[in-house]
Amino acid sequence: MSFPFRTPARGVPAAAGAVAAVVLLAGCSGGGGSSDNGGEPVSGGNLVYATGDAEPTCLDPHVGGNYPQALISSQYLEPLVSRNSDGETIPWLASSWEQSEDGLSWTFTLREGVKFTDGTPLDAEAVKANIEHAQDPATASSTGYLALRKIKSAEAVDTQTLKLTLSSPDSALLESLSMPWVAIQSPKALERSQEENCAAPVGTGPFVVDKWVKQESVTMVRNEDYSAPPAEGWHAGPAYLDSITWRFIPESATRYAALQAGEVQVIDNAQPDTVKAAEGSDVIKHLDAPRPGASNRLELNSSKAPFDDPKVREAFVRSVNVNDGVSTLFFGTAKRSYSPLSSVEPLAYSDQSLFGYDLEEANRLLDEAGWTARDSAGYRVKDGKRLTLQFPVSTNQSIPAEQSLFEQFQATAKEAGFEVKLNLLDLSSWYGALAENNYNLVSAPYTKVGPDVLRILFHSDSTKPAPSGYFANLSQVKSDELDELLTKASETSEPAERERLYEEAQKIVLEGYYILPLYDQQNHFLYRSEVSGVKALPTVSTPTFHDAWLTN
Amino acid sequence: MSIFSSRRSHRDPALAARFPGLRGLEIAAAAAALFLVFAACFPTLLAPFDPLAINPADAFQAPSAAHWFGTDESGRDIYSRVVHGARPSLLIGAAATAIGLGLALLLGTAAGLGGRWLDFGIGRILEVLFALPGLLLALVFIAIAGPGITTSVVAVGLSTAPGYARIIRGQIAQVRSSPMVEAAVVLGRSPARVLGRHILPNALAPVFVLGTLGLGQAVVWASSLSFLGLGAPPPAAEWGAMLAAGRTYLGTAWWMTLFPGLAIVLAAACSTVLGRALQRRAVSR
Repeated sequence: MSFPFRTPARGVPAAAGAVAAVVLLAGCSGGGGSSDNGGEPVSGGNLVYATGDAEPTCLDPHVGGNYPQALISSQYLEPLVSRNSDGETIPWLASSWEQSEDGLSWTFTLREGVKFTDGTPLDAEAVKANIEHAQDPATASSTGYLALRKIKSAEAVDTQTLKLTLSSPDSALLESLSMPWVAIQSPKALERSQEENCAAPVGTGPFVVDKWVKQESVTMVRNEDYSAPPAEGWHAGPAYLDSITWRFIPESATRYAALQAGEVQVIDNAQPDTVKAAEGSDVIKHLDAPRPGASNRLELNSSKAPFDDPKVREAFVRSVNVNDGVSTLFFGTAKRSYSPLSSVEPLAYSDQSLFGYDLEEANRLLDEAGWTARDSAGYRVKDGKRLTLQFPVSTNQSIPAEQSLFEQFQATAKEAGFEVKLNLLDLSSWYGALAENNYNLVSAPYTKVGPDVLRILFHSDSTKPAPSGYFANLSQVKSDELDELLTKASETSEPAERERLYEEAQKIVLEGYYILPLYDQQNHFLYRSEVSGVKALPTVSTPTFHDAWLTN
Repeated sequence: MSIFSSRRSHRDPALAARFPGLRGLEIAAAAAALFLVFAACFPTLLAPFDPLAINPADAFQAPSAAHWFGTDESGRDIYSRVVHGARPSLLIGAAATAIGLGLALLLGTAAGLGGRWLDFGIGRILEVLFALPGLLLALVFIAIAGPGITTSVVAVGLSTAPGYARIIRGQIAQVRSSPMVEAAVVLGRSPARVLGRHILPNALAPVFVLGTLGLGQAVVWASSLSFLGLGAPPPAAEWGAMLAAGRTYLGTAWWMTLFPGLAIVLAAACSTVLGRALQRRAVSR
């Protein structure tokens, strides 16, 4: 993305952490402790959360818009709508809404009496300012920008009524508006410079950003005047916790050791072996919250050789042994996917038959595609060029188990004659490699509520970069037929028709071997038993601590 | 140097008497070093398995008769990987030391012989480089040049050069003012001959000792860079990278970390013990 990224200093603390881990593991046996989460919630205390995701460069999720931003901003910013556990849209900052007959205009009525934590009232002008902020190229938004793409204009009809005019009907509008990347911030705060707003965005949420010590932690304190919980699921009134310390511990063994030692109470991006270990523990509990939208998948860059040839794409997919690796590396915590969509999406379409591991078939396809010769190292060559695949891996976005899985792909693909070059990169270098089209394979998480994520990921429009510089269509599929299906589906609110169109679209993506689905985007949280009321939002599965409380 | 050395040589037997295990330790270190070099040259003779062959069904096996050092998360044989890891680790260490010494030789000679201003200039540059810890210097270089084996070799080499350069400069300055060199100059020998025949041979003896000692340090630094993900790319069997992969599973599969860690310790310890032995001999000669 074009906004400046800071490379987190990894490793040096990690080395120290490895030593600490040994000491801690040695000292941690049994432990006992009650896992009884019943009883009345008590107020007070500071919760320490340790995230393994990259430290955001900006705490305002409009800017850029990645999952680390969603994780933290869910504590202090709130969107217009939410979902309940059945997947139905429920009111949050908007109390009701209505769509015009032609689907081209939407009217939202906003909740009365809600104030941002800087005292500014939540009104139609405020929401209008937010939509314009996310759409402004100067904001350099990616996720929010794409989610709001069809909104042509916003207009304040009266103080609490907002009218949105769309360029074409958008069946995914409510899903898009439920996401943290388009959460509503104080318009007064947005008027500050981007640097200031990034450091401490102002919202309506249960916590307020207090202090950000770079490369260490963000401190958030309770919003004492909190009054705007979503329509279902949250208790009324302010949060129970006094404050949250949001720490950045990128190294997974260190993070887990800190949890075991009680130094932190909640961690994300838990390694599968530790998730497995938590199953039998009274002290550590597990929350599994698979992310909606896309499944976790490898994208095969079809815009350049060798993956511009569908036969080579299929050969690669056939040549990697996914299932054996997933079952040993993930200890049964991840289920193999055969769909472009997450298993939590009701419209996900799977086709297992396309993705069997078959070395013979891979070899046959490569021979057919003209990659017949092999060099001394055993890799296939054609016209003097080796069958090499560049595979940049973001170490901030994949846990070690996943990196090991990619190493296994590298080993099995080699048998068919592919040379896979794994490049482990920090997030900013990784974005750089994508922007330069310097990749043949990539695994890029993309979280969005609802099947409209297919349009973001596979419509040819998404090969053009958003203002942030990021483009989401990383397999770079450009198909008129697919574009038409996805556009139609995004304009159709008739459920059966929508389902049919998305199914067709998923078939094209799967049968064209543009992606290799792996599993749902893993989102495992571990927390100590003294924390009660930890839950994930049913929108993009970010954890929320409004209902959380600590017992001692 | 010659004055001290004659005194030292008298103390040598006493030293040996006080530490009777010393010679044994040296022999053990030499044997271990030979073994490591052998592993680096002919890994296939020692390793029963392909270090890159994965077998998910065999993942996370504890050490056993079949897998002496156990297996890693992809079912690769750790013993075979440690053996195969000797080559990149030693090669990186040796190449980095060679670069460091070569550069130091150039700078040190220039400073020692080049006159007051050159000496002053190089001396200040070295002091600036000294202000930064060596590993930090290496990290800075990698941040600029990008990760990889070649860059980590150069990075480690560059960051060790200042230390060597300063010692070489001191040696050269000392030898230069010795009566032997003055005599050669008075006799009308050409500068090249004075440098090649008199100064360098006498100034460089300690350099080989330093090189041997430094080799171990370079291996450790190279492993550190790989540990941080800045060295050999996957799936290379490299000790530092193996250590990094293993630390994730430290609680459940300790063997993934222990054995590559021992290999690094062994290489560093060998080079230190041998370097010290050489040092004593050089001094007593």
